[in-house]
Formats: sequence, structure tokens, C-alpha cells
Amino acid sequence: MKLIRITEYLDIELERERWRCNRCGADFGPAREPWKKGALIRERDPREIHFPIGPSKEFNFSFDPKWMRIVEFYCPKCAVMIDNEYLPPGHPLTWDIQLDLDQLKAKHGVTPVRKRRESGPK
Amino acid sequence: MGQLFDAHARLFDGLIYEIDAYGRRPGCDPELISRGLEPITDLERRGMAQLSEVDTELLTHKLTAIVEEARDVYMALSITESVITGDMNCALFTASGDPVAVATGIYFHTMLNNAQIKYATKYYRNDPTVGLADGDIYFFNDELGGGVHAFDMFTAMPVFWKGELVAWATCGGHQGDSGSPTPGGFNAKARTRYEEGIHVPMMRIGERFRLRQDILDFLAGSVRNPFVFAADLKSRVATLDVLRKRLLREIERRGVEPVVGGMRRILIKSEEAARARLRELTDGIFRAVMFNDDELGGQLGLTRIPVTLFKEGDGMTVLVQGVSPENGLGPMHSTWHLVRASTAVYMFSYFFRGLAPNAGLLQPIRYLVEGPSIANSRDELAHGMGTSISACVVNGLHVLGSKLLFSSPHREAVQAPHSRNIMLMIFAGENRLGYATANFTGSANASGQGGRFDSDGESAVGFYWGPFTDAGETEDTDARLPHFVLARRLEKNYHGFGRYRGGSPLVEISTCGHLGCFMSSWGSADKISHNPGLMGGYYGPPNPRVVIKNTDLFERIERGEEVDISQYELLTRRKLKGEYRLEASGQATQAFKPGDLMCFGLGGGGGYGDVLEREPERVLGDLRENLITAEVALKIYGVVVDPATGLIDSAASTRRRAAIRRERLRKGKPFAAFMRAWQRKKPPEAILKYYGAWPEPRTPGYDKPFWGLYR
Ligand SMILES: [Zn+2]
Repeated sequence: MKLIRITEYLDIELERERWRCNRCGADFGPAREPWKKGALIRERDPREIHFPIGPSKEFNFSFDPKWMRIVEFYCPKCAVMIDNEYLPPGHPLTWDIQLDLDQLKAKHGVTPVRKRRESGPK
Repeated sequence: MGQLFDAHARLFDGLIYEIDAYGRRPGCDPELISRGLEPITDLERRGMAQLSEVDTELLTHKLTAIVEEARDVYMALSITESVITGDMNCALFTASGDPVAVATGIYFHTMLNNAQIKYATKYYRNDPTVGLADGDIYFFNDELGGGVHAFDMFTAMPVFWKGELVAWATCGGHQGDSGSPTPGGFNAKARTRYEEGIHVPMMRIGERFRLRQDILDFLAGSVRNPFVFAADLKSRVATLDVLRKRLLREIERRGVEPVVGGMRRILIKSEEAARARLRELTDGIFRAVMFNDDELGGQLGLTRIPVTLFKEGDGMTVLVQGVSPENGLGPMHSTWHLVRASTAVYMFSYFFRGLAPNAGLLQPIRYLVEGPSIANSRDELAHGMGTSISACVVNGLHVLGSKLLFSSPHREAVQAPHSRNIMLMIFAGENRLGYATANFTGSANASGQGGRFDSDGESAVGFYWGPFTDAGETEDTDARLPHFVLARRLEKNYHGFGRYRGGSPLVEISTCGHLGCFMSSWGSADKISHNPGLMGGYYGPPNPRVVIKNTDLFERIERGEEVDISQYELLTRRKLKGEYRLEASGQATQAFKPGDLMCFGLGGGGGYGDVLEREPERVLGDLRENLITAEVALKIYGVVVDPATGLIDSAASTRRRAAIRRERLRKGKPFAAFMRAWQRKKPPEAILKYYGAWPEPRTPGYDKPFWGLYR
């Protein structure tokens, strides 16, 4: 089994093309899909993290929850916070890492290799 | 453009992506601005053939030493507050106008100056009414001609060797007052460029190495600080002459062909090195989205600036698409060229760290910036604070670059972005030396750094646009200000939390003396923040403007009382009497009198990693250094400190962290369940007026769970 470290908390198991938790090995689903689909997701009022400072309700060094919420992504097994996003309520999530798995596999000598790609933009 | 790009991207019809969203105008040619490196000249080709690798390496170091010396000369000669503290740049360019050797300072200044040099070469050199000769001195500050904003002013000088143009030298920086309605330049209320002061495209202001007095009088007479302006312009000309003489000395030593050819070879080597580094990285598509809270028509409105990076082989495409449209209601409108140049701050300092910084590094990168939009806007709008939009692109790119670099041999560059939560106080008045001055203080250079993959971000580390800048000599600085700085300090809970926390900004608290002074301010990130964390670290907090009018500070000082004037203490305990105003950063000029307080800092960096992985000893350190409150230690970090001993209660902390993990598992929902509830939400209509279609500004009816999927 070949595990490739991708981020602080995410590995990819190359042969099976699966996202895996770097801390506990939990499976987050197909590596060609967003890893966020395999995480536990929680919406939070930003004032739970950034405690308001001072007398104003409008401007207080915290995020206005009408403008912005924190969306936290956890490993469903070990509960580590893999990442978070600060988004206006209801804004679509970010597919942050969409790797070219064929290139990654070729680089690590994992078959099948479809074809070598050319250089990017010149 | 690359297989990944072709398979996954779709540019919208009717919008502009590869060039500024305006056409040719006086002193300005967008086609020249959007060019990459110019073709190799015959002289360069002959010179390159004579060079060994060692020769090129030696020349790289020599030219770097020359531009760094010029930087020191300019900073030492100038009396402009922002220049002294490093908001400036000096560089050497090829004869065709590509930057080869760029001093530390503001990289993006140099990445923009090429446009005006190329303009002079194409349009003025052979024009009998202008021409180009040894000893010419040029000036420019026009943001449309390739500049930043009217307050950033530059000078350029051609370098001739035996009658042949062999190079250009440039020098300039943030000058401050531009003759706009607002002292100090930045006009937070401007809606057109005509409310932002003078705009000078490439203009010859001197010949035979001398400034023309009539032109100097015109320029100095157009701003509020003529003494500072004229002194600074002269210091630039002196600096240009240092650059020119040092380069000519190298040509005398080594011969003109090896030096000119070597300058070209340096550009080629940087491009090759950038491509070699890109080949080491995993191919893929990376996305990040940033938001701004801009004042639009009298109230704050939400706008969106997403960034998508396509990394393929030895090239990359930076795609800024799905941006909020132009609103024409304020100066937060950027340009294609400003976005491209701004990214140099991240690319040169972090992503390509260790490689020689010059135009060659950006050659493998294609920039597609959707326009007309707030990121690539048309000419008639105000652009003075377009840097806030381009900075959103940079910070988005910073997050993407870190995710791309983590799994590479270059993990040392993985870090949450440097703070860009601008709340900048602009002063105007008579200083202690008796002359008129208008600018911002060097403390603006002391914002917080983001948390790194292996350590905390530094506090008060440097200027967003130039990580190598300095805050200056404090006592000298204070003598040049029209106001009194009462305190410069770090504040509590003013950074992003994480396994490695972000750095805090320096907060400056000021009042003024019996002469009074004028203060305005600009910025955004008042209700939201531009400082993302990384890999689970939290954002740095928003920072609005804090003004306390009519305080009893001087009465208390006269009574001999000790007054703790930290911003956190003032806001939470309100020990000073007065009118506490917390408001948006962008405010028009107001008169300040003794006892009125203005507090400002440029924001704290985001954190890196899960807060529950922060070593308890580090949390205790933050507490002892007054960087966090006990509530943060307990509720965010899950670290229990025994109030009697001031030491960590390890068993209680372990229990507390386990409880927080259980809460995460209890409150976290699987994807489908989360999306069902989430997709029903929407911000209030009042703040979406200038956002574009919700949630995808350019794609009405978009209902996918992830943004930016247009195919
Ligand atoms: Zn796990």
C-alpha cells in the first residue's frame, strides 16, 4: 500500500485512489472526488472562535455571522480538524485539491499509466 | 493551454481575461503591459555566447549588490515616511524594458515599471518631440499606464554606453500625497480616477542629468507636501545615478556584450529555474475563495474574489474567474496588471524562494483575470485601493501554493498568508521639524505573519507587500510625524489560532498636540478578514477602525495617574472617558485635537493546523505574553491552567481536549446532511447588492455544492 502525503492531515492511497486521514488512516472516499465529501462538516458562529472585543455590535474584531460562517471539516474517526473555510452563509464549498492522479501515479511508479502529459502553458 | 485546463475550465463569453479591461489611451498601451519578456536582441545574443555559467552567476550577484546598494541610498536620502520604511523599490532593466535585478522592497513596483519603460521605447524614442538621450530623467505614477495607484511614484533613467541604450534604471515608491481631495492621497470616497490626484504617464522631467525646474515646480505645486515631494524626487535622481554609474563600471570592467548578454541570461536562467521547480510539483487544480467587505454607496457590501490554479508540467495558469462585477462606488477596483504584479510578492518571496527575483520567474505563469470586474476594471473608475482586491488574489494564491508545495521538496515555504487586513491611518499636518507632511507611518509595516508548517508566525514582522521592510528608527520617525504616538504594542486575541499560531500586528495608539492634525483612514476587512489560516488553522480576525474622541487622557496624565492604553484594555474596560467609535476603515478626513485617540494595526496572520494539536506549553507562553486571554486557552485550545499556580493542569487539559473532540463528532454532519441545511442559507440581500448573482456572480441559478465548476 503506497500512501502519499498530500497535506498536513491528508494522504492518498495511490493504488486504490482513496483519500486517507494522515493521523488515523480513516478513509475519506475516492481521491478523484473532493475529500470534503468524506468528512464530518460543522457550521459555526464565528463569535465562538473570535470572541468579540469592545462595545460595538457591528464592529468588534469578530466576523459578522450575517456575513460569514466558519465551516469546519473533521475526520469522522479521530476528530482532527482537517481544514476549515470561512464562507458567507450558504456559499458553495471549495474543492480545494483536485489532483491529476494519473500523473501522481506515474511519478510514484504505480500503474496503470495512461500517457505522459506535455508541458503546461508557455 | 494544457490538458487539465482544457478539460476543466470554461471562460465566459464576452469577458476579458488576458489583458487590462480598457483600450489604448494617452500614455498607456495595455498590449505592452500584458507582454512577457521581449525578444532577445543581437547585442544580447552576442554577449550570451561569451558567458560561462560562472560569469552569469557572478553578474547576478554583482547586479544584486548594485540594486541593494541603491535601495540603501534611496532609503537614507529620502524624507518620505513610507519610503524610509521600505515601501519602495530599485531595479535594473534590460534595454527593452524587462526587470533583471530587483532589490528587496516592493517587488511588484518593479514588475509594473516595465510597462512605462516599454511605452517610452515604443512611442517616444523615435518621436522628434520627445526622443531618448543619455541623461534623461522620467517620472510616472499613472495606474492605467501600468502603475499601482497615483500615490506610488517612480522615476526612470536610460543607461547609455557609447551612444547605445544598454539598460534602464528605476527607483520609486509610495510618495503619499497626490493632490487628491484627501490629504495623504488615499481617497476612500473616490468613485472616479479624477478624485485621486494627479496622474502622470511616462514624462521626461529632466535632461542631461538635471531636473527641469519648471516641471519640478508643477509637480511639487500639485501636492500638499511640496518640500517632502521635491526632496524625495531629488533623492530618486541621485539613486538612479548610483544605479547607472555602478552598471557602467561593470561594463567598463567586463565589456558591454558580456554585461548586456548576461542580463538576458539572468532572465532566461530564472525562467528555467522556475520551470524546473514547477516540474517537481504534483499536477492538479487548486482553488481558494476570498471575500471583501467594501464600502459601497454608504454601506458595506460583500464582493467575491476566487482564485483557481492549474498546475501542469512546468507551467501554471492563475485563473481569477467568477469575480464580482465593477460597482463604480469606490476605489477598490484593481487592474489586470496590478493582479499579475501583486502575485510577485508571494511568488518571489515564498513559492519560488531562493531563486533570483526577476521577470523570468513569472514567465511560466499565465494570468487570466476576468474583466470588467473589481479585479480587472475599466479606466474611468477609481483604482486607489485596488491593492485590496489584488491582495485577495495574492492571499488566495498563498493558500493554494501552500497546498501545492506541502507534498513537494519545498515544504519550507508552506505558511498561512501574511496579514493583509488593511486599516491604515493617514496623517496630515505640520511635524516637529516644522514642515507639512502627509502619509502613513512605518508602523504600517508591522503586520503579523501567518503560522508556518513548523512554527508560529512572527509578530509585527513586516509589510505585506515587502516582507523585507523595516519600521524605521522610532525616534526619528516620531519627529517627522504631526501627531504623537503614545504606544506601539501587541494586543490580545489579535491573530489566528492554530497548532502554530499566526503573528500579531503592532498596534499604534496616537493623539496629537496643540497644533492638531488631520486623520483619515482606509481599508476593509472590518466585518470579515483577508487572512486565511492553513490546514485547519483559524483566520486572523477582522480589524475595524478604532477612534476614541474627547478622552480625558491628558487630564489623567496631569493628575499623575497611570493609564493602561492598550487597545484591548480600552475597549473592554473603557477606563478613559470619551466617545468610543468602532467603524469601517474607510473614512474621510477629520480634524483631531489633543486627547482624541486613533488606534490602528494591520491585522494578524492566520494559524496553521488544528488548535487541539498545539503544545500546551506554547498556549501557556501565549497567555504569559498577553497574546491570548484565558478564555481562548480554555475554550479554543482546550488547555486548563491552574489559577493558583499559573501552571498547566495536564490531566484536566487532556479531558478538556477529549471533550472538544467528542463535541466535534457529535455536531459534525456527513456531507449530504450538511449540504441540505447549508444550501438553504443566504446572506441578507442588503449586503449582496453589488456581489453579482448569488452565489456565483456570473452564473445565475448555480446550485452545485462546490463553486467554480462551470462545465
Ligand atoms: Zn483521523
